[in-house]
Amino acid sequence: MGASGSKLEKALGDNFPEGEHYFGLENFGNTCYCNSVLQISSQKRKTGVIAPKRFVQRLKKQNELFRSYMHQDAHEFLNYLLNELVDILEKEAQAAKDDQETLLASEKIANGPKKNGLANGTKKEPPLATWVHKNFQGILTNETRCLQCETVTARDETFFDLSLDIEQNSSITSCLKNFSSTETLNAEDKFFCDKCCSLQEAQKRMKIKRPPRVLVIHLKRFKYMEQLGRYKKLSYRVVFPLELRLSDTDEEADIEYSLFAVVVHVGSGPNHGHYVCLVKNHNHWLCFDDETVEAVDESSVQTFFGSSQDFNNNTDHGYILFYESINRN
Amino acid sequence: MHHVGSVGNPNNFTRPRKEKRLTYVLNDSDDTKHCAGINCLAVLKSAASDESDYLFTGSRDGKLKRWALAVDAATCSATFESHSDWVNDAVLVGDSTLVSCSSDTTLKTWNALSTGTCTRTLCQHSDYVTCLAAAEKNSNVVASGGLGGEVFIWDIEAALASASKCNDAMDDDASNGVNSSGNSLPMTSLRTIGSSNSISMQAQTEGYIPVVAKGHKESVYALAMNEGGTLLVSGGTEKVVRVWDPRSGSKTMKLKGHTDNIRALILDSTGRLCLSGSSDSMLRLWDLGQQRCVHSYAVHTDSVWALASNSTFSHVYSGGRDSSLYLTDLHTRESVLLSTGEQPILQLALHDDSIWVASTDSSVHRWPAEVCNPQKIFQRGNSFLAGNLSFSRARVSLEGSTPPILTIPGIPAIVQHEVLNNKRHVLTKDTSGSVKLWEITKGVAIEDYGNVPFDEKKAELFEMVSVPAWFTVDTRLGSLSVHLDTPQCFSAEIYSQELNIVDKPEDDKINLARETLKGLLVHWLRKRKQRMGTHASANGELFSENDIGTRSLSHSRVEVDGSSEIDTVVYPPFEFSIDSPPSIVTEGTHGGPWRKKITDLDGTEDDKDIPWWCLDCVLNNRLPPRENAK
Repeated sequence: MGASGSKLEKALGDNFPEGEHYFGLENFGNTCYCNSVLQISSQKRKTGVIAPKRFVQRLKKQNELFRSYMHQDAHEFLNYLLNELVDILEKEAQAAKDDQETLLASEKIANGPKKNGLANGTKKEPPLATWVHKNFQGILTNETRCLQCETVTARDETFFDLSLDIEQNSSITSCLKNFSSTETLNAEDKFFCDKCCSLQEAQKRMKIKRPPRVLVIHLKRFKYMEQLGRYKKLSYRVVFPLELRLSDTDEEADIEYSLFAVVVHVGSGPNHGHYVCLVKNHNHWLCFDDETVEAVDESSVQTFFGSSQDFNNNTDHGYILFYESINRN
Repeated sequence: MHHVGSVGNPNNFTRPRKEKRLTYVLNDSDDTKHCAGINCLAVLKSAASDESDYLFTGSRDGKLKRWALAVDAATCSATFESHSDWVNDAVLVGDSTLVSCSSDTTLKTWNALSTGTCTRTLCQHSDYVTCLAAAEKNSNVVASGGLGGEVFIWDIEAALASASKCNDAMDDDASNGVNSSGNSLPMTSLRTIGSSNSISMQAQTEGYIPVVAKGHKESVYALAMNEGGTLLVSGGTEKVVRVWDPRSGSKTMKLKGHTDNIRALILDSTGRLCLSGSSDSMLRLWDLGQQRCVHSYAVHTDSVWALASNSTFSHVYSGGRDSSLYLTDLHTRESVLLSTGEQPILQLALHDDSIWVASTDSSVHRWPAEVCNPQKIFQRGNSFLAGNLSFSRARVSLEGSTPPILTIPGIPAIVQHEVLNNKRHVLTKDTSGSVKLWEITKGVAIEDYGNVPFDEKKAELFEMVSVPAWFTVDTRLGSLSVHLDTPQCFSAEIYSQELNIVDKPEDDKINLARETLKGLLVHWLRKRKQRMGTHASANGELFSENDIGTRSLSHSRVEVDGSSEIDTVVYPPFEFSIDSPPSIVTEGTHGGPWRKKITDLDGTEDDKDIPWWCLDCVLNNRLPPRENAK
């Protein structure tokens, strides 16, 4: 315990950022999916190992899905974590508001009825935006254009992360391009156009309308193979750049993002393996592998792109990417 | 489109089959007007000066109409009804042949000067047929283009000749389709048919086969052919103009430049120049000799959907989604706004010195256009110079607009509907905002509420009753289409007393679909009896032995009211209007889908034309087994 931590302290030496703490997280048997994601938040002491025992216990209690010692999916956990956080934060905020309202209501009774509109508790509140929303939530637009009358029907949906289909020897940019590429609804699969009152051909595409402050990209490395009847891990080489630029949004300028964390899946199959994570902090890249924390070189990020050939000894692949916008608040 | 019918194999009955559906379309009382957007126009100039010119219009209501033109009036002189979906385009070939194409996947030919006789149904396409092109000089050649990239080049004379070869005693439409691909024939056609007016399948499969222009990867939305029929251009979602030799169907070239769907194409008479209009809002002029785009014109603010040029190809009229009609001088790039309306422009046709403009509302307008001397219009001023980039378009306004010379009005199309809980009434709203209540078992509007909020009226008419859904409705033809599918359609029964049917026992129930079918087929039945004369009984002679009789006995419930007499009386709540009779639409068997007014059925239609289960219900009083009807 602490051995790896002190090694890290030595490695960073004087460069160890003031007030920062790099802790490993103990693995309780297949909880690395959870550790890798949790590491992307901060800790207390300078270095050392923490056992997130209570966290994992609580997690297993609340969600049956994570109860077994089976290999779990880090993306699924991230999803669960963010949604659960939103629930908790919204409940807290609601409770706080209710308290305030009972307070106001009792005051009202004490002071007699007021004709002040502000004191009216029934006034509509905008939906609560928690810090999870502020940081992670983006808006996607699903645009469908009827090819007959050319009316565009748009439907907005919010997201916390983008799941991208991947191809061999591609890049995040090309995956994003495919993600928002146009799909034609035709033949047996025509679109019912309300304007034409009939089935017509249509073009459909997804557009990132409002990019989030933190863009989380999930690479669909686990693909269901119809002919095998099971999931397979795709070890495709998908280049993820340190700087990413998003265009064709509703924002005025292109959005520039900088990579600050990567969840890496280690292993060749979907049902076993290990998760580690890389986090950039004060211009240092750190690799968190359960209780081990090591400083790594920025260039080592590219060792997690994947392999160009199907059979390769390198089984460490970037799985979830965290980008932070650098030109937008 | 084709559903496999039974082939007399009893094993068929054990698994669910999809039977053909019967659809009936409620017609407005005024049959001289279109009741949906006008997709196409064709002008027929009279040969003699004392005769009137004709305008042909094809509409989203599935019909074509012929208008006799006077100086200040247009009179509907014929309605061409047989298509079962939108009519998308129409061209005139030869002296008096009208060729139309439709979203029902067929082309139909008509005698343009007749009372509306469909002479031929051509079933080669497998998806919507969107556009046609005809060669003016080589007048037999017509090209048809459609979704899925299908383009065929037809010799209409040969296609018509092959039809008359195999059936001379045939009725006009219904049963004389070209279907060269034998494997796509529905199984029902293979059944031995005893009736004399049937047609052998050999004759069908030996039918005329058009030339195929192979190589389109995506849907085709525009076609044009030069006068001589030596050059065909096509455009569509591939965003390229393709050039073909229509005689062989071989590709000549591919022209890139547009950034969106190509919706309109025209060629000059020599076939050297081609003008295209696109959803990217641009017009592009292509020199086919040089194989390049020589000019692009930013005239419209939205998609260009229709083009027409004068005979020298010096000036072009264009219309589109921005509801505006422009005239552009292709040499000087000068452009002028001629008219702007409220509805997108779908088609243009030049006629003498004026232009016909068809739009998504049901009417057609004729505007002055100085076709013989377009320069006159520019002399009046207000012109602007067309840019060559889509965003470089100048701002224009229309000053001192003149009204159209002539308007052929239409009936506003129904765009919203709600089936009421009694499952006999449907509330509708049309493009003018007018709300009406229809009784679908009589085929008429029984209330006209005028411009009232649809949802409020719907709430007002709400009844706490529950009747099984026995039909489905759509409004793609601008009027109500009611679809009946077996066995679901037989699921609704109601007490006769509720409908005020007299002389019935207190607990007598009637089946809504059966009574509706009886009402729809009453004219057919009467004419059929007349035809069959005295030697036939009323009871399903047509389907006596090998046909429906044995086939359906095993799986139908025979409902005979105590006596063996079959109840053919049509009750008043199911009497369809004679003034505006509904039209029935069926998928047909080998002739492709067709549509006919119920009063125009002549009694010769049999189970090849009308789904057998409808006839079984009307003739033999047999309904599908009850357990299936749920």
